[in-house]
Amino acid sequence: MTSSLESIQLPHLPASLPIHVALYRDVQNAPFLRQQLISGNADFEYAFIDASSVLSRTHALSAVFRAVNDYLNERLKSRNVHSEIVFSFSPTNNIADSFRKFGISDSTKDLLVVKVSTAPEITHESVAAHLAQSVEGTPAPFNDETLSRIADITKIKKAYKLGSLNVAPAGQTNGANDSGKKLLENSLLGAIAIRGAT
Amino acid sequence: MTYTPPPLPPPYTNTSPPPTLLTQGAEAHLYKTSYLTPTTPAALKIRPSKPYRHPILDKRLTRQRILQEARCLVKLVREGVSVPAVLALDYEGQSENNNGGAWLLMEWIEGLVVRVVFERWEAFMKCSGELGGKELEREEKKVRGLMRGIGGVVGGLHRAGVIHGDLTTSNLMLRGLSSGEGEGSPGMEGDVVLIDFGLASQSISEEDRAVDLYVLERAFGSTHPRAEKFFEHVLEGYQGSYKGAHITLKRLQDVRMRGRKRSMIG
Amino acid sequence: MIAIGLEGSANKLGVGIMLHPDNGKPPQVLANIRHTYVSPPGEGFLPKDTARHHRSWVVTLVKKALKEARISVRDVDCICFTKGPGMGAPLQSVAVAARMLSLLWGKELVGVNHCVGHIEMGRLITGSTNPVVLYVSGGNTQVIAYSSQRYRIFGETLDIAVGNCLDRFARTLHISNDPAPGYNIEQMAKKGKQLVDLPYTVKGMDCSFSGILAAVDGLAATYGLGGEGKDDEASEDGKPTRADLCFSLQETIFSMLVEITERAMAHVGSKEVLIVGGVGCNERLQEMMGIMARDRGGSVHATDERFCIDNGIMIAQAGLLAYATGFRTPLKDSACTQRFRTDDVFVKWRD
Repeated sequence: MTSSLESIQLPHLPASLPIHVALYRDVQNAPFLRQQLISGNADFEYAFIDASSVLSRTHALSAVFRAVNDYLNERLKSRNVHSEIVFSFSPTNNIADSFRKFGISDSTKDLLVVKVSTAPEITHESVAAHLAQSVEGTPAPFNDETLSRIADITKIKKAYKLGSLNVAPAGQTNGANDSGKKLLENSLLGAIAIRGAT
Repeated sequence: MTYTPPPLPPPYTNTSPPPTLLTQGAEAHLYKTSYLTPTTPAALKIRPSKPYRHPILDKRLTRQRILQEARCLVKLVREGVSVPAVLALDYEGQSENNNGGAWLLMEWIEGLVVRVVFERWEAFMKCSGELGGKELEREEKKVRGLMRGIGGVVGGLHRAGVIHGDLTTSNLMLRGLSSGEGEGSPGMEGDVVLIDFGLASQSISEEDRAVDLYVLERAFGSTHPRAEKFFEHVLEGYQGSYKGAHITLKRLQDVRMRGRKRSMIG
Repeated sequence: MIAIGLEGSANKLGVGIMLHPDNGKPPQVLANIRHTYVSPPGEGFLPKDTARHHRSWVVTLVKKALKEARISVRDVDCICFTKGPGMGAPLQSVAVAARMLSLLWGKELVGVNHCVGHIEMGRLITGSTNPVVLYVSGGNTQVIAYSSQRYRIFGETLDIAVGNCLDRFARTLHISNDPAPGYNIEQMAKKGKQLVDLPYTVKGMDCSFSGILAAVDGLAATYGLGGEGKDDEASEDGKPTRADLCFSLQETIFSMLVEITERAMAHVGSKEVLIVGGVGCNERLQEMMGIMARDRGGSVHATDERFCIDNGIMIAQAGLLAYATGFRTPLKDSACTQRFRTDDVFVKWRD
């Protein structure tokens, strides 16, 4: 089985809660996947993230970390930990808006999928098997190299209202400017961390 | 009676190996731990709840302060001021049994605090006795450079609309220096990073800015007598760092005159 | 050595007699008497009335103290008096009395800083050797620690003193000034349950109370709780009561005091706290400070009303310590001063 599913044990989070992450390119069935979410199909309880809104692995895992911590503290603002992951990318408290900006859309081509092992039967194998039969796309490694080819910096900066941030000029999407990218990444992490702090 | 730090708040009760306690201040405990990968170091600041306070007041203050600190840092990161980035935050702490407290996870800054750099430099200057003209000039040039760097970063902070509230040489770091080099004249190259924003606030008042500088000036005076005479270079570095800097520097003179000699009424 | 101490910087007139035995045994309090000028509810004490009170009572108190101590004038080595800080007129009336005794009996004068008097008395009574001192009274709010021959002020109020804040709120509520407004607020606060939001103003190791006073006065006005003859019992529909306001005021300002004290302890690396001054009698403040100190692995020292509240014995104690090092106050320098910082005193008697 050519699975690109990566299972990650994030520091500080309980060993019983591994995170499963997969990245797909050239996804063909985004409308179908999105429809499963909308109809509340329990088999499709995933965080489906449009990968063009993801700057880096650290960016994505930070949103996951926040969501899982809120889950552990029973502070979810949305339906479940998976919708919360999508919401956690957001710098604002508007849940619907966070799905528009970071969630899967009908035109999504690059898809990041996250699943948290919230129950013992959710394992690497079960998730890998279900994704393999559900997502029509090309598995790609979940790393900064791949993500930097996908990330739409202009879109990300806009989503985080960082238009004036002094980073790599718009259009230059492959992170040529390392310190600029670090600055952008740090700004995203900060925005994720303090969301809701009014 | 030995001191035992309060229990860690979740999720750090799961952390393996457990975070290492670095310092215990009045308000907060600072730990070294990791973030997202076991090999990425991070600084964890915990504000334990204070059992002497009324629980409602305690919650309000703890939350308010950790948020204030996080907001200032996030703003500064965005403005490109060199401070540790905010990685994660929990301002509620654990609500159930009131144990643990609010926490702030920050980027780990590898380097030395400026206090240690100056202590080493002063020790070096003391034991090398009379330096030759050339060597002395080299040493002083290094110090002047660092002083200007400090002024520049404080200026950047003020330009961004943030007041540190507790500027001392213990709250300034030189990124990249290793703690290993104990002998000889310490290096003074590198990025100056501002840390510990526990008393920071957002303000653009020139009085607040001037007091910030004054606190730093006094800290130099009391902790680094040999380096004190170079403080003017901090102000030099500050001068050029933002547009209103000269107004603040003018105000600094008033603040100095007033000092802290507030006469009291019986 | 024996000293008489005269204190009258505020509304208490105190006369104390202290013995420091020549054989190095512990000091002994021979007499400690006090008479307080109590103003009517809703009013503070005015300087001229207070001074008149002190003038008319000082002779009686000195006589009574000598009698209680079972000593004669011959046994007395020096006359110690409060040089400041404090209210001008009351300070002066007591200084005049001290000069008079000095000339009459041919004894030397020792002018004492009121705050240092509190600190030295607290150290003596509690046996705490090198604590961080929180000095809280109607006129002062300071966090103090000793370092190279000075009691250094690490933090202080930026406006009014904490005791003044409590006293003035007592006036708003028309609470009795007998025995002390702060004492009566403390009793009332014990019945309070609901914590109302008040400003909390700590800046580093300094703090401020005027905004809090304005806020709590405002709440009293909003809920019609100010003035005379109001019911202290629980009110309907969740509105705060007078007791709730007293409770909230205490909880808020005492938290601020404990916080700045803790910061000073962390700064100087001390584990002991000594609370002195009239507000230091407050048991809730002592309790909160105790919890903080315990969590830092230390302890709190406080004294009871005999030594916490302004008294003559503390002036005698600090005066004798200075006297033993050769310190004297010549008659021409015996004027008192309303402003006299704790850190102005050269503490020759400590290492």
